[in-house]
Amino acid sequence: MKRLWPIAVALAVVAGLASFVIIAKQGQSQASDVHAFNLGTFSPSRTCSRPPRFLRRMHIPQPVMIDLSQKHYTGVALRYGKNFTQVLHPKQWEQYAHFSTYALDTVGNLYLIPTPYISIHPSTFTLQKKLFRLDTTTGKIKIFMDFEDVNPRAQNPYGLNAIAYDCDDHTLWVAAIDESDYRHQRGVIYHIDPANKRIVQRVEGFDALTLRLIHTDRGKFLLAGSARDNGLYAFDITRGRGLASAPHKVLELPDPNAHIRKIHLSGRNQLELQTIPFSYSLVAQAAKEDRTHFSAKWSPEKQDWQVVKIPNNTTH
Amino acid sequence: MTTEVKISLGILVAGTVGLAVYWFLPQHSASQPASSAKAVASEEIILPQYDPATYRNVPEVQAYLSDLKKSIAQGEGFLPLDGSELDAGGKKAQALLLKDAAFLKDTRSGDKQMHNDMMRIVPAPVASLDKAAQVICRSHPCYQAEKYNFVTNATTRAIVDTEAGKVLSVDYFPNAQPDISYRLKKVAEAIALNAPEVKEELGRLPSRKDITMANVRGSMKESPCENTAHLCVAPTFADHEKERALWAVIDLTQLRLAAAKWAGLGKTTTPACISERSLENRYIMEKYCQRDTILERDGWKIIYRLTASDGLEIRDVQFHDKPVLHSAKIVDWHVAYQQEGGGESLDTSTETYIEGRRVEYVRGEGGRYAFGYNDAMGCPMFSTSVVLAFNGPQVRPLHDGNGFMLTQDFRNPKWPMACNYRYENRFEFYHDGSFRVVGVNKGRGCGDNAIYRPVMRIDMAVDAHESFYAYDNGWKQWTQEGEEHVRGSEAKVKKKYPYKITAASDPKRGYYLEPNHGQFGDNSRGDNAHLFVTQFKENEGDRDMLTLGSCCRLDQDGPESYLNGESIRNGHPVLWYIPRIRNDAREGHEYCWADTRIGEDGNPIIKIWPCTVGPRFTPISSF
Repeated sequence: MKRLWPIAVALAVVAGLASFVIIAKQGQSQASDVHAFNLGTFSPSRTCSRPPRFLRRMHIPQPVMIDLSQKHYTGVALRYGKNFTQVLHPKQWEQYAHFSTYALDTVGNLYLIPTPYISIHPSTFTLQKKLFRLDTTTGKIKIFMDFEDVNPRAQNPYGLNAIAYDCDDHTLWVAAIDESDYRHQRGVIYHIDPANKRIVQRVEGFDALTLRLIHTDRGKFLLAGSARDNGLYAFDITRGRGLASAPHKVLELPDPNAHIRKIHLSGRNQLELQTIPFSYSLVAQAAKEDRTHFSAKWSPEKQDWQVVKIPNNTTH
Repeated sequence: MTTEVKISLGILVAGTVGLAVYWFLPQHSASQPASSAKAVASEEIILPQYDPATYRNVPEVQAYLSDLKKSIAQGEGFLPLDGSELDAGGKKAQALLLKDAAFLKDTRSGDKQMHNDMMRIVPAPVASLDKAAQVICRSHPCYQAEKYNFVTNATTRAIVDTEAGKVLSVDYFPNAQPDISYRLKKVAEAIALNAPEVKEELGRLPSRKDITMANVRGSMKESPCENTAHLCVAPTFADHEKERALWAVIDLTQLRLAAAKWAGLGKTTTPACISERSLENRYIMEKYCQRDTILERDGWKIIYRLTASDGLEIRDVQFHDKPVLHSAKIVDWHVAYQQEGGGESLDTSTETYIEGRRVEYVRGEGGRYAFGYNDAMGCPMFSTSVVLAFNGPQVRPLHDGNGFMLTQDFRNPKWPMACNYRYENRFEFYHDGSFRVVGVNKGRGCGDNAIYRPVMRIDMAVDAHESFYAYDNGWKQWTQEGEEHVRGSEAKVKKKYPYKITAASDPKRGYYLEPNHGQFGDNSRGDNAHLFVTQFKENEGDRDMLTLGSCCRLDQDGPESYLNGESIRNGHPVLWYIPRIRNDAREGHEYCWADTRIGEDGNPIIKIWPCTVGPRFTPISSF
């Protein structure tokens, strides 16, 4: 019996260590629920995006506003001139119906994310699984990538729905929410290398309504507004290992019906968040009167966010 | 080294490595949104089940309405604050403002008084003052007053220098709600205390001391009731033992319980997290979109569900254990607006949108054209619908006591504003085994020249093999898929039932189809319908459909695309019945119309002139 003592001692040591580790980790987890995630300090930085080159050839002056509002034009329109009253909108830009958001790269290619019709058209589901590109040289919109695993349907008409351009490695981050239903969050974030149209990484389990990259003194993060709740989340991006599989919850807005649709770095440690009501139906209330804006300011001293609603007429 | 020591070392190394791996594994915080969705699922939501008129008998509500009526009779419609809510300066400020034209500017609409309440008058906080007022108010006592307009959902704020007797500024804030008055807080509490749903949920008669309200009023002003147009607050009944609370959302514009919710006492379930609409959406999703419901009543057995875009669907309907229907639903409402001229110069090179919908244009002859869109009805979340389910399906007795109805209300969130719609899907079940598929349109639409066409799909279950007949000097069987304009008055005179569907083996077992000519006592102007009969195919409407056909090609209804000459003799025919309704906005003749008016109590009321269509099916031989 005495011979078994070393085994008993080893088991006791491992059990003791295990209980300590489990309690410590649970404590850490609970703490992260209570305290705001520390993103670190940050400042607005200059974008690497450039306007399309064909604009110079057409003698269209800067600045140019990209109009995806669907109010007057199908697809995309570029507005310029005094009060942005002049419009560039070739017929070809209507070919793939409507777009919801975009990202510009360093040479002026405009990547476009589709949006379903409010009165559904037979082709709309097919269009929701494609990433489009307005070529900086030719000025033509073409299908850039087709995502075979994206399958919008009557119960959830949304496919690809968010995009961000990564100025560090010239890649794209794209989100899709087609697989999600009322009970399950099955959204996917794709990391894409546009040079070879290859999917570098695919992270499942989060429904992003918007994406935005940010550098802070604690590292690089992909910020994501949630389509399911009123939270802002951050995924760690580690060089060589890519996107972390699980995001941190950064903050929660005071209005439960507000879903973050745009993230703007408005100042030092300050974000401006544009929100809309969103319920995965075609009643996407994205009109100006449906949008609400919040200012979120990080206080390094208090290690907390101060979130306030801002009047619509004073927003970015 | 003994074997035991080696095993011990192995345990230590393996244990340490295992724990290190566990420590560095992600925390699965990605599940936070999913877990919040799970939390949503576990929340218990209660929608009002009782007549809101109940609250008119609550003494606090009675007194409030009585004061409001008196005020309207005096041509005011404005309820000032009671003296007990004001100090001496506040009383002076109120007296000044009750005569101030700028402050009272929005209290009337034409010859109608609108319901306004003074909500609070307090010493003016410096943050509310502009620079000039700050200078004045350093040496003079200044007060800030806020009033709320219940019709326009707007707040007016004034700054008053009570020493000089001057109104320094008046600001108007559309779509903004102030903190409520002490009196309204008491009214809200009284409604909550008298709500039968609250009593049932708490399992006892609650008292005023059970309510935690003081800290709720401020944060609840962000909580929208019915798309933020109503003023709502949430008296709360906390159950600290079970760490949960019942939030009773009270609509102070309509003086009723709007909804209630059991929720945890945690951080993420603060009162600001409640809105009537989001509560309704969750309730509807949980109960009717995620699962089927079985209804058994008066010999009928009905399975029903809400679909993503085909409205309310009934399935596998039986009467006294005999199959009646495989499925019935309204898959779409085609909405078209006819224009008499201007079609030649119509520019359709770019698309047009009305209230966010893509508009379809169809040119006709002589410059005529039609435009419009297809409205799908369905679940409020995860759907392709734009006209969404409000409340859940309701079961109600028929007015004549001859049966019951299963009905579902669908609305655009902004109804009854122009270009927004409200439809009712209704199925009526009678004691004799008859049933009726009913579509009700409650306006309002974009204009007075609308043509509405609900597309009804009716899949009977008389037998495995069925036959369809039309009456034309005797019953004639349709052997192939076909269509025709539903026989009108001539058929009504000659034959009450112009169609029937029977078991192929027994022509006496089945149902007659009785079109609606206005004979059902619901002020209907008739169906004027088109009928299609097609052979059953699963992908032709048995599952959820998107839109079917064009909104505005008035010579096409949609199911034409399923007609390919297939035989329906002894087959499985499916009926597509498409009424055609023209709306009417002429005063005294309104039909498929709605309008917002100011009622006798100064509050907004919505007047509806519904149009009701749909055929009745009667058993050929009694059950």
